[in-house]
Amino acid sequence: MVITATGLSKHYGSTLAVDDLSFKVRDGVVTGFLGPNGAGKSTTMRMIIGLDHPSGGNVSIDGVRYRDLRWPLREVGALLDAKAVHPGRSARNHLRTIALANKIPAARVDEVLDIVGLTAVAGRKVGKYSLGMSQRLGIAAALLGDPKVLLFDEPVNGLDPEGILWVRQLLKGLAAEGRTIFLSSHLMSEMAQTATDLVVIGRGRLIADTTVDNFVSSHTVPTVEVRTGDQDALAELLVAAGATVVTTPDGALGVTALDAPTIGQMALTAGIALHELTPVRASLEEVFMEMTSGAQEYATTPMDPGAHA
Amino acid sequence: MTTDLLDAPAIDSGRAGFPEAVRSEWAKLRSVRSTWISLIVIVVAGLGFAALFSAVIANHWKQSGPLDRAQFDPVRISQAGSFITQIVVGVLGALIVCSEYANGSIRTTLAALPRRTTVVTSKAVVTGVVLLVITECTAFASFFVSQAVLLASGGRQLPAGSSLLDQAKSAAIPVLSISSSGVPMALLRTGLYLTLMGILAVGLGFLLRNTTATISVYVVVLLVIPILIQLLPSSVRDPIQAYLPSNLGVAMETVGSTHTDWAGTLLSAWPATLVIIGYSAVILAAGAVLLNRRDA
Repeated sequence: MVITATGLSKHYGSTLAVDDLSFKVRDGVVTGFLGPNGAGKSTTMRMIIGLDHPSGGNVSIDGVRYRDLRWPLREVGALLDAKAVHPGRSARNHLRTIALANKIPAARVDEVLDIVGLTAVAGRKVGKYSLGMSQRLGIAAALLGDPKVLLFDEPVNGLDPEGILWVRQLLKGLAAEGRTIFLSSHLMSEMAQTATDLVVIGRGRLIADTTVDNFVSSHTVPTVEVRTGDQDALAELLVAAGATVVTTPDGALGVTALDAPTIGQMALTAGIALHELTPVRASLEEVFMEMTSGAQEYATTPMDPGAHA
Repeated sequence: MTTDLLDAPAIDSGRAGFPEAVRSEWAKLRSVRSTWISLIVIVVAGLGFAALFSAVIANHWKQSGPLDRAQFDPVRISQAGSFITQIVVGVLGALIVCSEYANGSIRTTLAALPRRTTVVTSKAVVTGVVLLVITECTAFASFFVSQAVLLASGGRQLPAGSSLLDQAKSAAIPVLSISSSGVPMALLRTGLYLTLMGILAVGLGFLLRNTTATISVYVVVLLVIPILIQLLPSSVRDPIQAYLPSNLGVAMETVGSTHTDWAGTLLSAWPATLVIIGYSAVILAAGAVLLNRRDA
């Protein structure tokens, strides 16, 4: 295990941002850190690199507290806030100041500028950078020390589709080199694209610590959408066979607990003509929304906070 | 990905500490424009006010009374610019810390150097060394400018070793030379005062973490409190006002009479220096304690 959090808690005054959170991040894979906005992802990341002090519990990297690392940037690279740079400094100077703090050779600055494709604009003041360029600069800073552990907090936020694709490919390349990547996002679909493992939190609490595949298969229920001229008759038949049947918003039957071939056979036997027979698998996004619906800090509809959390 | 970290020290030997922090801070300081603007203002204000105030004093010397003449201090007049530059060094010290809080890059700094006291000491040392070089050069250059202006306006060079106390009887403006006793030390202390105030502002920046708040508090302490304190009865005011930083600064650049019209009797130069060192050390230490304790 590379990153190990044990009973990690953080409160700001009376607000509990992270609540008794324990999880492990495996060596050499991309672990997605998933939760709705305000779930405590950034707070957790800040605690991992020693910026915020935990109110309880602890978190370590290879068994060592971050503040005890000899050359922190050469062990852990982090992109927390891409805009957190002095606007009056050039990108190259910005990276140089960071490199000097951990005795990283100056040649490495040009190397990371090249990796993220900022070489041509490295002399320009960072204040004039677009969000996409700032994000690239933040990634360059994280890569400076060639660390084996990388933390990225919402790295695709605000990027255009081309930028998102670039970040995804970069992450895959870094993972292929055997690096450990801990990547936060509030978008499940983003995780499905890049992550192997998954840590899901809501309202600061752990919801799941598993692999993406396990998470999906254990939380999605296969449904079959059926349309026919005589919905009532078929529904009665299916319920009698043990299925759960609901009417979907667009008027089809949503059938669970029976698979499509069985339903087709039953309809044929009963002489009911089917217009449509479609197996549907809930998307990751839906699963995630359902799992965290009780754990959202800022929900769009009023709800009883104690009901699901 | 190719990597080029072969020149870096082995990952399991040494650790990122004070030398790395100082190099990083020096690179930061050099690479922003506000540093250079501040340093230019320190030099220009120092020399400009030395020339201006010396000319004004020379112009009014014939009309000034014996008391004014007795309180005239050729070194102090040459350092008239420090009234302005004490604010500039504070702004520079505040910006070195608070600009990192304003844009969030303090987190990058602390991620690279998680031993936070090192961050405070390296910022204080880099600020201190840069300010010391600039303010000492400015202090000496201002003295020569002031001396030249006074001599050109009818001043008379006092022989080395002669007392400033005789000057009240003199018809000419007394002018000291750099070799006069006490002068080099007074000039050194002027640079030291400005440097220590810059370091104090670094500590204040870590305490308040906000540029506007830090500069406001700094200006209030230096410029507003000395005025407000005049409203207090003298029994309360007198013991306090000699210990106000701006009055300690004047005391440090004084070679002549320690009596002033506006702040009573000042401390002697070296005790005043010790008090300023104490203020800076306490504020800086408080800033370090809070930086260690608080979330970044």
